[in-house]
Amino acid sequence: MSAAIDTERLTKTYGRRSRGIERVDLTVEEGEVFGFLGPNGAGKTTTIRTLLGFLRPSGGRAWVFGMDIRRRSVDIRKWVGNLPGEFALEDKMTGEELLRFFARLRGVRDLGYAYELSERLGADLRRPMRRLSRGNKQKIGLIQAMFHRPPLLVLDEPTAGLDPLVQEEFLEIVGEVRGEGTTVFFSSHVLSEVERISDRVGIIRNGRLAAVEPTHELVNKAFRHVRLDFDAAVDPKPFAVLPGVRDLKAEEKSLYFTLHDNLDEVVKLAARNRLLNMEYERPSLEEIFLTFYGESENGGEE
Amino acid sequence: MRAARRSGVGRHAAKGPAPGGAFLALVLHTLRLQRRGAIIWGLALGLYSAVMVASFTTFSADAEQMNQLLEAYPQELLDAFGIQNLADVRNYMNSQVFLLAPLALAFFTILASAGAIAGAEERGTIDVLLGNPLPRWQLVVGHYTATALSLLGILVITGLMTWGTALLMDVALSLGSTVAAVLNLWPICLFFGGLAMLCSAVFHRRALAVAIPAFLLFAMYLMDTIGRASESLEDLRPASVFNYYGSAIEDGIDWPNFGGVTLVALLFVVLAVLVFRRRDIYT
Repeated sequence: MSAAIDTERLTKTYGRRSRGIERVDLTVEEGEVFGFLGPNGAGKTTTIRTLLGFLRPSGGRAWVFGMDIRRRSVDIRKWVGNLPGEFALEDKMTGEELLRFFARLRGVRDLGYAYELSERLGADLRRPMRRLSRGNKQKIGLIQAMFHRPPLLVLDEPTAGLDPLVQEEFLEIVGEVRGEGTTVFFSSHVLSEVERISDRVGIIRNGRLAAVEPTHELVNKAFRHVRLDFDAAVDPKPFAVLPGVRDLKAEEKSLYFTLHDNLDEVVKLAARNRLLNMEYERPSLEEIFLTFYGESENGGEE
Repeated sequence: MRAARRSGVGRHAAKGPAPGGAFLALVLHTLRLQRRGAIIWGLALGLYSAVMVASFTTFSADAEQMNQLLEAYPQELLDAFGIQNLADVRNYMNSQVFLLAPLALAFFTILASAGAIAGAEERGTIDVLLGNPLPRWQLVVGHYTATALSLLGILVITGLMTWGTALLMDVALSLGSTVAAVLNLWPICLFFGGLAMLCSAVFHRRALAVAIPAFLLFAMYLMDTIGRASESLEDLRPASVFNYYGSAIEDGIDWPNFGGVTLVALLFVVLAVLVFRRRDIYT
């Protein structure tokens, strides 16, 4: 398998005061769905815009399908469908007119897939852009990124402004194109959707890539929410002092805490009492992300 | 290892437009976006010119008296405004329409060119456009080509309305003189359009890409007008593009000047390409 995106210490700075990205090493394999996570200003959009040649790298190197982003930006864009995070479309033109224009730019003659996507997403191709809502413009943006069936989709916040039903349909479409071998590199704030469709996630913080992990591994190795119900109230202190136990709360006959490690000792301690029920839940990716950021901000990371 | 991983694009077939296809598509797209504005500009300028032709008939019988009246004015002032013989419709049209027309019409090319890069960045349309396999030079040259063609359309409308009115009102204004007059507007307007394109490539703000060429437009006009009126300031005139504009409706097109100004306009566009290729795009 070859890399769809490969970066080597990729750096983009905007001057002394404004941070961009710093020494980003990232590999996205062909055919995978890669979720790119980070809060506003972390460097997600800068990474995407640098990969596509809108921004000149300040340092490092990067390749898309083996093509150097500095030298072959136009060739790269032949293979990429891009949805920018902040974009506008010509106000006077309808979605259909714009798609025909983009098709001519790309030498695409068949707009059949564009119409199919429009049908599925419920996009109105006949109205001028100025009369469309944010969500409807987003649909046209998604269609223009996907209609030419590129081998790499780069989507910056693809579901922003879409209603839940359309989001669901979009995620369905992403699943289909992945099945056809398309690589999807997307940034999002909606962690539940990243968790649902991503093979791997990358977390960027303050312009640096803080972690890249398979989504399930990131979730599996994270903490767990634990609830223990006993037949009588128990002393919480022995649990509170166990390594790995945090945020412990005692309520009548139950204990609630998050467990970061040390399951064995917790189970053994609990077994000294009469245990009626034990709940052991994995957190959502959103919680993991927030915890990760919380730790990192406190110097727990890097 | 790393080189081996960058092997290619797998099963997807190579795509792309026919050679020149993307450029042509961009020019046609831009022409379409400019169409309405160009028609309005053409009708407005054409209407003004037609009214001036029509107004000539109202005093042409008394033109000699007008000329005598004008003799009371200082010759320098008359030179500044290109007035020599108002009994001649060509001199009348030059002084009343074509000497001033670049001051207005140059704004069509300035506004269009300023919007090509800096304007598209501000509107946020440039990311989607350049998400396609379109080289940056094609964006600059394609947009400028479309603007030059739209300008030609404006001149055709203006020329037809001017000459048509002359025919209807039985004014002795030949088709050749009318064509020369309107065609002579083309290089000077392209000059300021090229300058705006360069500013649009250098700066990220549309306001600057409009303000700088607009300031130079008025400064150069004043420099030429004052230079014509005052011998001591005449040396300034070669620094103004209006010095090479002349009065094509009376003297025909000065082709060396026409070509020279056009070449400078194209030089601005080349510089715009070189600058734009090296800079970041912000939205």
